[in-house]
Amino acid sequence: MALNIRPVHPVFAGEVTGIDICQPLSRDQVAAIEAGMDRYAVLTFPDQPLTDDQQVVFSANFGELEIPLAAQMAKPEARRFDKLELGDISNFDGKTDNLRARNDSRRMYALANRLWHSDASFRAVGAGYTLLHSRIVPSKGGNTEFADMRAAYDALDDATKAEVENLTTEHSIVFSREQIGFEVKSDDASNVRPVKHPLVVTHPVTGRKSLYLSSHIGGIVGWPVPEARAFIRDLTEHATQPRFVYSHKWRVNEMVMWDNRMVMHRATRFNDLKEQRDLRRTSIKGVGLAVEDATAMAAE
Amino acid sequence: MTITITPLHPDFAGDVAGIDLTRPLTAAQVAAIEAGMDRYAVLVFHDQHFDDDTQLAFSRNFGELEVSSGAEMSKPEERRLKMEMADISNLDQHNRLRPADDRKRLGALGNRLWHSDASFRAVPAKYSLLSARVVPGKGGNTEFADMRAAYDALDDATKAEIADLITEHSNAYSREQIGYQKVDYGADYQDKLRPVRHRLVRTHPVTGRKSLYLSAHIGTIVGWPVPEARAFIRDLTEHATQPQFRHVHEWKAWDLVIWDNRTTMHRARRYDDLHDVRDLRRSTIRGDGVTVAQIQQAA
Repeated sequence: MALNIRPVHPVFAGEVTGIDICQPLSRDQVAAIEAGMDRYAVLTFPDQPLTDDQQVVFSANFGELEIPLAAQMAKPEARRFDKLELGDISNFDGKTDNLRARNDSRRMYALANRLWHSDASFRAVGAGYTLLHSRIVPSKGGNTEFADMRAAYDALDDATKAEVENLTTEHSIVFSREQIGFEVKSDDASNVRPVKHPLVVTHPVTGRKSLYLSSHIGGIVGWPVPEARAFIRDLTEHATQPRFVYSHKWRVNEMVMWDNRMVMHRATRFNDLKEQRDLRRTSIKGVGLAVEDATAMAAE
Repeated sequence: MTITITPLHPDFAGDVAGIDLTRPLTAAQVAAIEAGMDRYAVLVFHDQHFDDDTQLAFSRNFGELEVSSGAEMSKPEERRLKMEMADISNLDQHNRLRPADDRKRLGALGNRLWHSDASFRAVPAKYSLLSARVVPGKGGNTEFADMRAAYDALDDATKAEIADLITEHSNAYSREQIGYQKVDYGADYQDKLRPVRHRLVRTHPVTGRKSLYLSAHIGTIVGWPVPEARAFIRDLTEHATQPQFRHVHEWKAWDLVIWDNRTTMHRARRYDDLHDVRDLRRSTIRGDGVTVAQIQQAA
């Protein structure tokens, strides 16, 4: 049975059938998925009842797994999963089945996922792929929305393309949380120190340019902060117009993977004080992006 | 000659012809403009050659003038205009362009966020009247969004959820969003930043229509955790400023635009403000009263 990809949006995003990703994949299957990612930037795989171990195995086909910042910053007893690589995108209170209380600081932290962002853009090397698997989904809301930053870049006028071409932005987890009035405290300053990224990136395989935007951006190098933020807001508004957005309504046991170098995403609201939503995330470290020596850039 | 109003948008905003606003108006003319405002919420007039005195005289037809918050938070020698005239320009008191790192310039960038004028006052603004004296070659539009149509388009569950919500507004909240800090206002003006409370849903006193009273000045919802409130207000603002609720005004010199802050939001768009002059002057009519009881002496 051959892998098939059905487009679900005019400019990006496809639904993949004809593959069982719970099983080990052949090299051809991995290559077909990667080719699909280069083309679609977001792929959804319905009806894939993965276990945590299977999710990690599937993810490792695509590169080195990241340890989520929230797991890094949490005490071991507060983590819901034994595997550090597994990001907890749920509204559960740690290892219990209870839902997080309204004022729970993990809930406050996670609310910033409702802002458009690119995963781990606050790291010197941002995430490449993110893989998100649904175990429990709410009856209403809680969609994940994606916006195609290649199409958004292409739609800029020439003057704006020229203006953004060589801009460098500063990203930190502090900046995105600050926007909703949540102060990030970290014992390790390296978790929150701003890192630099180019605003325009070029995909290593397709050669397409895209806007590397994220709610984690707090400034543009050489610009006064308010001017930078007003401009980034304008660009974000442009880049997240409905024509560039695919809204994914979750079903149970779906795997959705996206390329953070080509799309932004956000969660939409649901009744998280009453309904369960349990998604589990793995992320692949980004490599091959046209970021000049990102490690050196971060050292500041 | 009677005024005629041509709709500029299916829901709101009208283009007015047949009146010279720089001359004293009759009671009937004032009533016709007010009726137009109740219907359209934004009215655009062209070729109105105001100076500051004639603009203020015209504005007084609609109620008591507000003192500009920008003027209140400036020393007398820093002001270019009279206290009742909000200086919506990129010029300093000597009519020079403000440089990139000018504190007033950076604070004014907050006008690029959707807001309702003076929603940070316990008695917020009714009408704003903005007169274009010099306009830039490109950009610098003002965009308006109809908060009545935005309210009407909410689903019933959301209407029920927000019916009795109370928000807290401060000028500091809008500026904080673009990284302009409270301390940047200066030690003398901190008392102007105390939050005030407003209803999230307002009812227009004449038309009885409900509208969303949203503004970048909102920092929280009473009784909600701050991050949850801000995420929700962002969602509502995104809903309320969708293109179908918007009218874009491209300025020509001597345009006058009046809008009702009770039923619309607006924002300025980017232009090359380091090189191109934009000199707009705003007079503002104070509203009739508070929208909800305050818990403290408000700014």
